[in-house]
Amino acid sequence: MSRRRRRAQVSLQRWRSAVLLISFAVAAAALEARLVYLQVVDQAFLVEQGDDRHLRTVQISAHRGSIVDRNGEPLAVSAPVDTIWANPQELRGAIDRIGQLAGVLELEEDWVLRRVTSNLDKNFVYLRRHLRPDHAARVLQLGLPGVATLREYRRYYPSGEVTGHLLGFTNIDDQGQEGLELAYDYWLRGESGQKRVLRDRLGRIIEDVELIAAAKPGRELRTSIDLRVQYLAYRELKRAIADSSALSGSVVVLDVHTGEVLAMVNQPSYNPNDRSQLDVANYRNRAVTDIFEPGSSFKPFVVAAALETGRYDASSTIDTSPGYLRVGNRVITQDYNDLGRIDLATILARSSNVGVGKLALDLEQRQLFGVLSGLGIGRLTESGFPGESAGVLNDPEYWRPVGQATLAYGYGLSVTALQLARAYATIAADGVQRPVSLVAADAAPPGRQVISATTARAVKNMLETVVSPAGTGLRAAIPNYRVAGKTGTAKKSVVGGYSEDRYFAIFAGLAPVSDPRLVTVVVIDEPRGEDYYGGEVAAPVFSAIVSGAMRLLAVPPDALQTTYVARSGGGR
Amino acid sequence: MNGELRIGTIHIDHGLTAAVIALVTIGCITIGSASISLADREVGEPLFFLARHAGALALGALAAGIAMATPMALWFRLSPLLALGAFAILAVVLVPGLGHTVNGSTRWIDLGAFTVQPSEPARLALVVYIASYIVRHQREMSASLSGFVKPMLVIAGACVLLLAEPDFGAAVVLTATVLGMLFVGGARIRDFLLVLSVAVGALAWLALSSSYRLARLLGFMDPWADPYASGFQLTQSLIAIGRGEWLGVGLGDSVQKLFYLPEAHTDFVFAVLAEELGVIGSTLVIGLFGVIIYKACVLGPRAAKAGLPFQGLVATGMGLLIGLQAWINIGVNLGLLPTKGLTLPLISYGRTSAIVTLAGLGLLARAYHEVHEAERRLPAAAREDRR
Repeated sequence: MSRRRRRAQVSLQRWRSAVLLISFAVAAAALEARLVYLQVVDQAFLVEQGDDRHLRTVQISAHRGSIVDRNGEPLAVSAPVDTIWANPQELRGAIDRIGQLAGVLELEEDWVLRRVTSNLDKNFVYLRRHLRPDHAARVLQLGLPGVATLREYRRYYPSGEVTGHLLGFTNIDDQGQEGLELAYDYWLRGESGQKRVLRDRLGRIIEDVELIAAAKPGRELRTSIDLRVQYLAYRELKRAIADSSALSGSVVVLDVHTGEVLAMVNQPSYNPNDRSQLDVANYRNRAVTDIFEPGSSFKPFVVAAALETGRYDASSTIDTSPGYLRVGNRVITQDYNDLGRIDLATILARSSNVGVGKLALDLEQRQLFGVLSGLGIGRLTESGFPGESAGVLNDPEYWRPVGQATLAYGYGLSVTALQLARAYATIAADGVQRPVSLVAADAAPPGRQVISATTARAVKNMLETVVSPAGTGLRAAIPNYRVAGKTGTAKKSVVGGYSEDRYFAIFAGLAPVSDPRLVTVVVIDEPRGEDYYGGEVAAPVFSAIVSGAMRLLAVPPDALQTTYVARSGGGR
Repeated sequence: MNGELRIGTIHIDHGLTAAVIALVTIGCITIGSASISLADREVGEPLFFLARHAGALALGALAAGIAMATPMALWFRLSPLLALGAFAILAVVLVPGLGHTVNGSTRWIDLGAFTVQPSEPARLALVVYIASYIVRHQREMSASLSGFVKPMLVIAGACVLLLAEPDFGAAVVLTATVLGMLFVGGARIRDFLLVLSVAVGALAWLALSSSYRLARLLGFMDPWADPYASGFQLTQSLIAIGRGEWLGVGLGDSVQKLFYLPEAHTDFVFAVLAEELGVIGSTLVIGLFGVIIYKACVLGPRAAKAGLPFQGLVATGMGLLIGLQAWINIGVNLGLLPTKGLTLPLISYGRTSAIVTLAGLGLLARAYHEVHEAERRLPAAAREDRR
């Protein structure tokens, strides 16, 4: 001490600096002890607390299988979308920025605020579902705590209203609700998985820590539909409905060889991509759910039943004079003209109610029922389409003679367009009935002989006369192809009887006759123009669709008309 | 003398220099890691904060170079002006329209391209002033209470301005640094104890008088009581540190920096460092600060013996300023002290702090150089005696 004072007026005593250093050292030791305590002793608790905040089990949404047409064209695809959700406990901390959040989400601020404040006991609430990824990114950019996205998939239907009824749609949770989406939900549906992830505080996933269960994507459904034919059928039907101011209509196109449905369209339709302006009535796939009395388009089946007895053949004739038919003391049936004695082909070509009524009355009830039922009348098809109707064909026990006669020209029973198509396809396939399918078949499924090939061919040839200048269905004709079919104009049943001015216009037919490939049924409900006959309203639609389809499917013509085109410009 | 080397006319303390360079390097790496996600999100440039910090370090190196080239005697003569300047900038920040407010504290002056935190240069200037005061009023200090109380009143005035911002942490560090300098400078123990108890009492009263400071205090006592509100920052810091274990989760792999831990690149950068580098890395940082504190404190008596008490006191003051702030910041990160809003010198992002701290270290290096020069001129016997 004394030495130091001697040397300098200001002395910094070494012990004081030492005290300072020791104090720092003691503090450093305390820091070090605390450090080791936290990082080694208390570590498990702190890591657990950290994991509670960082680790989350999240759902891995599975991709729903696509629906494609028979050529692989997409009909329904799942596109990734982002759903915005929030953890109200974390978002509570930024309650003053809810207005900003609501703005970007395009939601009412009050609604968002209530949603958060009334769910403070929960860890998860949806704020807005199915946003486009770029919109969701803008929401995340706000950087609000506890707001995060969830990857989901939204269904898109590229062909829109053209395939709307057929495909149906899914709900917001990606579950099939209608149509093929519902029927094949088990096949299309993916199985969502779970994984544990490391998130940052904004909810963004930094790292996948552990896969708990892998997501199983749904499988692709290849339908029997040919999108080109479907578009064509839709376009022609829509035009016809508009031109005739009809209420509704359906078209079914079947592949005769395989029983596959190549096209199935209805009017009015809806766009499954925009369900905000939906009229629920338009959901129905009328071609399979709605039934109607087939009218004259039913006659070929009665003729087939008559041929099946062996008592009739193609040359058999029926006397239709005097142009009406009495059962008991009632005139139940009338033709427009007295056609006299005519053969079976003419009965169909001229659509004689008297002729076919007499034929029916001559048949044994059980036998007639057996043939009709064998053709599929009153039986569900194999399509598996949700809400399909089986139509109505009463048991013969309940038939009265009057009913047996009117049944012959298509009253007192009802069918769906698909059922009618199946029955015509059976005739087209020489009496072999194949299951109707909405799913593409790799090979023709085995069929069942329900009427003899001879009968089927005879009926088919008779039907060809319908589409001739002598028949009612000339307007169904197609250049270069032989066409067979039958018109139908059925009065609509109303309370207390049948309407005199409301009809179903129907045409059912097949082509080409020499080796039938397509059966097409056109049904138009209540055409309100001057024309309402099947041969006038429905037959041209048939012609337009089938001629186009023949070309699209490259079906070889069986009645090539050699046309000489005058060569022009042989030298100026 | 270990760790000394003569380069030209400048004597450089190797250990000190190495410690500073190491800390600055660790600081850059940690800031880069801790701020990369924040910068990417806020600015769109992942290295935004790192680049700005590096720019400040370059300016700091320049300032340190100037300090090393400037004789300490100049600062001694200028010290009253320095003190006036310190008060001036501390007052300017409080002028409405000039001060820049962040998180409720008006601690910055926005100069357009650059935001300055006046408390940093003010504290350095006041340390230089107090060192000169002690040298000039040695007799009064060792004879009466007034010699001790007068400088404390000056500091109390500065503290009032700091608390008006409010910057409680800076006030504590400044007061404690000056108390330490007065203690080393020869204040009477009874004066010292008296003033110390008054200062501690005043600080305690301040701490309890404001509800926000009280909330911070309570939050630190038991952060797990309310981990989502008052204890939020601290629990996130503790989680970060706990995740580090012995070796850390690895450089760049901190999860807590991903918006869980607020102020991850400034006040709580140590927690990120502890998470990424573990006990080993954290201990290294504490040790490197220890080197700076030790080098500064041992220079005090050595300078006085060489006849340069001012240089010794400035060196001691620098050691106290950096050491106290480091220890308090780390203590806050570890949950030993209440949250203060203090950065970790040389490590945390903060451009004013980076420049001023390096300038202060330049003064320390200059003091070392002058002491070394003076010792060379002393008789061999004196040097012998010192050993």
